[in-house]
Amino acid sequence: MPVNIIFNLLRWSLKLTSLLLLICQVSCRPLRTDNLLIVASASKITSLDPAQASTFGALQLLTALGDPLYRIDSNGLLEPRLASELPKLSDQGLTITIPLRKDVYFHDGTRFNADAMKFSLERFMEIGTLNYIFGERIKSIESPKPFLLVLKLRKQSTSLNSLLTSINLTPVSPKAYRDNKDSFLNKRFVGTGPYMLTSFQTQQKKLEVFPLYWDKKPNNKGINFIHLSNSTALFGAIKTGEVDVLISNSIEEDQRLALNKLSLKGKLNEGKGPALEIGYITLLSNSIPLKDNIIRQAISLSLDRDLISQRVSYSQRKPLRSLVPPILKNDKQAYWPKYNPIQAKKLFQESGYCEGKKLTIPLTFRSNVPTDKLLALTWKAQIEKDLSTCFSLDLNGVESTTVYKQLGQGAFEAVILDWRGAYSDPEAYLSPFLSCEKFTGNVCESGEAAISGSFWTTNGLQKSLEHSDQLTGQARLEKLNQIEKTAANGAAYIPLWLVTPKAWSKPSVSKPEFDGNGQVMLNQLSELSQ
Amino acid sequence: MSRRNNLIKYSASRLALVPLMLWIISSLVFLLLRVAPGDPVDAILGNRATENARAALRERLGLDLPIWKQYCQYLNGILHGNLGETLINQESVSKIIGRSLPASIELGVCALLIALLIGGLVGFSSIARPQSKLDLSARVYGIATYALPPFWAAMLIQLVFAVSLGWLPVGGRFPPSLPPPSGSGFLILDSILNMNWIALQAAIIHLILPASTLGILLSGIFSRSLRINLERSLEADHIEAARSRGLPERQVILKHALPNALLPVLTIAGITVASLIGGALLIEITFSWPGLAMRLQEAIGQRDYPLVQGIVVVVSTLVVLVTIAVDLIVAAIDPRVRY
Repeated sequence: MPVNIIFNLLRWSLKLTSLLLLICQVSCRPLRTDNLLIVASASKITSLDPAQASTFGALQLLTALGDPLYRIDSNGLLEPRLASELPKLSDQGLTITIPLRKDVYFHDGTRFNADAMKFSLERFMEIGTLNYIFGERIKSIESPKPFLLVLKLRKQSTSLNSLLTSINLTPVSPKAYRDNKDSFLNKRFVGTGPYMLTSFQTQQKKLEVFPLYWDKKPNNKGINFIHLSNSTALFGAIKTGEVDVLISNSIEEDQRLALNKLSLKGKLNEGKGPALEIGYITLLSNSIPLKDNIIRQAISLSLDRDLISQRVSYSQRKPLRSLVPPILKNDKQAYWPKYNPIQAKKLFQESGYCEGKKLTIPLTFRSNVPTDKLLALTWKAQIEKDLSTCFSLDLNGVESTTVYKQLGQGAFEAVILDWRGAYSDPEAYLSPFLSCEKFTGNVCESGEAAISGSFWTTNGLQKSLEHSDQLTGQARLEKLNQIEKTAANGAAYIPLWLVTPKAWSKPSVSKPEFDGNGQVMLNQLSELSQ
Repeated sequence: MSRRNNLIKYSASRLALVPLMLWIISSLVFLLLRVAPGDPVDAILGNRATENARAALRERLGLDLPIWKQYCQYLNGILHGNLGETLINQESVSKIIGRSLPASIELGVCALLIALLIGGLVGFSSIARPQSKLDLSARVYGIATYALPPFWAAMLIQLVFAVSLGWLPVGGRFPPSLPPPSGSGFLILDSILNMNWIALQAAIIHLILPASTLGILLSGIFSRSLRINLERSLEADHIEAARSRGLPERQVILKHALPNALLPVLTIAGITVASLIGGALLIEITFSWPGLAMRLQEAIGQRDYPLVQGIVVVVSTLVVLVTIAVDLIVAAIDPRVRY
């Protein structure tokens, strides 16, 4: 009878499935045939050319594959790497002389020298996607001696020292890149770092120890750097021990919290890096109603950072009231006002709102960033609670590529964004928001302030920015503080919180450590059982 | 005109429409991408690059040309089998598709087999005991799996079987610490051809969760379709006649009722195969499966025009060809189909 056949088939299918699950329980654990550590990240790496790389994952890998001239150590100080000494300034700060190490080799066996560094910097200036940061400061690059590099500047620039720590400026072998002097070499990397790139696949990059490395050898035999596309997969992979280390800023907040709790129980090791990423809100200040500084001030006062941080990130993101991360200016002084709904209401009343007239602002968030949406919803609810008669928000989710495209066109009255400077210097957090080439009154017509979507500037601000890049030490810090104070009064940007990079490792692997640029030092990872 | 000639004429007319359909699809993709806000130059340089840097990159990528020139270049490339290079890292689009397509096909075929197996079993068991609890359960299963949001189901399955129980890998297609078998890119096939049993085991255990999830989600439509068509078939006059001739019930169902009931299922399977090639996006993202759908999603985010265009053209071609092939098979085996 067919009915019997069907039931037999069903029975056998169930048995087969049970057997399969049983086998899985015994044998489906991850297969390991090499001794390389598996490091997972959500970041997709499509290019390892330092002239092209800009994503978190690519910069993380380049940090392991290459060396910069200098790096910021864990105390925030400049430390020579491929340079043998700190940079020497002369010619009224327009010439920088950098002596180089003599014991460095590229992964292809060729020797590192000033010509190789010159080749790499010129290549970056020619085709680098971030070449405008470096190129606008540098007039020429010279290599008068085999191990001496001279940079001639267009203008004095204190922040150039920090810029020289950028891993985008890591040297590449002139021999290996001979045919790619003016084009990208995406799937190979021949540099000087502790690891060599031995395999580049879509979802996996393999790094093995470089035997001729000039400095201390890595504590592990190599790294398998893999990409997992979503937060749950990353969370599951470290929780089940499928991967040894998890590096990710994009992991969802509740899962970050769960990982944090696991680390407190000793089931994982958690490493924290310097908080260099800021979250902020940009207000469009060149058109009504946000053209009114008082309204912007009122909005700035209406933001309850503590509550939002607690609700959205379980207090893992620290409330921030400055544009420059505190770690970069060695003080915790904040210039943006604290949450004060009473004062906010007064200011709204001063501008003619609250008395039966309510100000409604469209708040745009990036729809593909889950935290942004939560933030927008929480702020909206908080305003409804505190200032329901004066102010409200209309939420509007837009995909991030579209947001970035339309930001400079003044498309968003208020928009939630985040920022991480291209190098660890206050200048990388102020100029991109405040610099302005052409302005009328308080409206910036062209320059970074316009690109940032605020279009806000004020008389003397640009000069202050330029002046700060010529100062050093305490004088520079004071100048930067003054600039921040001016920006806080303008209230075209509202700093919100600070994101601390974290990484987790299995108990059998050492705790991940970060360098001063917020990258995990992969060479420090080691298997504790060994 | 004989039935054979009619069939040839029908096939020729269907195939003749293929270039037209592909031209319309590829032109639409080209135009829609340019109309969509966002810019590949922004995606590469960020929005803070100087105008000079932007202009230089625009020129290097050929984006400074007038739209009609870009369109002509694009069509000319397609006609010559050249899908161009990606804007983000100047890699051959054909190579990227060549690497991702086997992953999608492997997942799609396995999911389809699972869907057909489960759908067939559930559909059969449902019709075997009409109006029974089993029938009711099968019908609920059919509706539930069809109605379940794929991302939710996939995440739930991932959380249970990979994260909580730890029986299967959370994602990926192959363990990072094993060298993948060389060959066609179809890992299961390559492992068998290379007689690399460890690789075969690894490839299968990575495939189980995504393929089962997709298969279960698709099985509902097959079980419902099979049940409905089999029920209708069993009520037909020729089945009554077969029964009255004293044929065994097994023979009545398998030989006389099933072939008629399977024809609509074949059509559904064809459409499903076509949609699976590019449509398993949520499953691919949840399980970090490096297939075409995931590539497409990334390329759209980066506004990488050539890659989006290339993937859409390839997927459209496959969808059109599979749909036509299914139509022709149905036309060939079902004498009721009119041309």
